[in-house]
Amino acid sequence: MPEQCGRTFDEVLLSGYLDDALVQGDEQRVRVHLEDCATCRTLVEELAAVREATMSSTFDTPRDHEWPEMPRTGASRLAHGMGWPLVMAWVVLFGGYALWELWTEAENLLEQLILVGGVSGIGLLFLRVLIDRLDALKTDRYREVQK
Amino acid sequence: MVESQGLAALAGDVAGGSDQELVDQARAGRREARETLARRHRQAAYLLALQMLGNRDDAMDVAQDAMLRFFTSLGSFDRERRIQPWLFAIVRNQVRDLWRRRQRRPGERLGEAGEALTRHLVDPTANPEADLRRSELRHRVWRALAELPAAKREIVVLRDFHDLSYSDIAQVLDIPIGTVMSRLHGARRQLRARLGGERHA
Ligand SMILES: [Zn+2]
Repeated sequence: MPEQCGRTFDEVLLSGYLDDALVQGDEQRVRVHLEDCATCRTLVEELAAVREATMSSTFDTPRDHEWPEMPRTGASRLAHGMGWPLVMAWVVLFGGYALWELWTEAENLLEQLILVGGVSGIGLLFLRVLIDRLDALKTDRYREVQK
Repeated sequence: MVESQGLAALAGDVAGGSDQELVDQARAGRREARETLARRHRQAAYLLALQMLGNRDDAMDVAQDAMLRFFTSLGSFDRERRIQPWLFAIVRNQVRDLWRRRQRRPGERLGEAGEALTRHLVDPTANPEADLRRSELRHRVWRALAELPAAKREIVVLRDFHDLSYSDIAQVLDIPIGTVMSRLHGARRQLRARLGGERHA
């Protein structure tokens, strides 16, 4: 502050005064000083006006339906994580059985080649997704209990 | 305690319970208790994130992540403590994680996002014209807050908007309580200087 001010306490107490956070002795010292010192009084009034503006502000917040579904518990998150691998295990078993049937019924080399090409493509795709899912499960950051 | 918990459970009444009761019930695996706690605290988490990030979608993500983290850490939560400072500390970490991922410094000023932040301000009064000056001041204050470094912005926001006590602020920021007042005053000083500078510009 450029003006002369006979203050004998640290200026930060003015914020404490504003917040009603001072011990009695300090509160009294500040209050007595403010009665005499227009400079500090102005500062406190300005800080109070800014504080009031912040305090009285309202922001729009998301409506209830905009929030994603509520946090899952560990168990249901595990079920969620395991769901995909289980579906894929089923696809592999059932698909494998169906393919075996097709293979044994294929009548010539061409049909067998088409079958092998298609199957290995689809198989690789599934393998890729399976690995991704297992990776995601392994690195799920919410499983770690964070202090 | 156990008995009243049981009665509340029988009545299915969790909406009116205290945070402490709800924490106990959530720990016991009651889904409704978790949902009530989430509904009670996620808006404040969202607002703090919005005020730090200036972006609605980011704030939603952070608030949601913070709620998840809060629930996964419920086991180590001291039920005698208040939820809000604990949750705010998580929000603060999440915000810093986001900055780190985007390779922005944690001293971040909001810049253009600060302008976006003021667009989320709503004027609560039924008669906006009468309060036009106060409304203008609010917009100027939030723009100025957005221009402060994150550490200064957050302490002012925690005290003056979220109405946290000095001891709660110390907990959120993980600093000694004796330093809260001086940090807060420094931030308020800087905020006031920004507002003054704008007025004379
Ligand atoms: Zn003075």
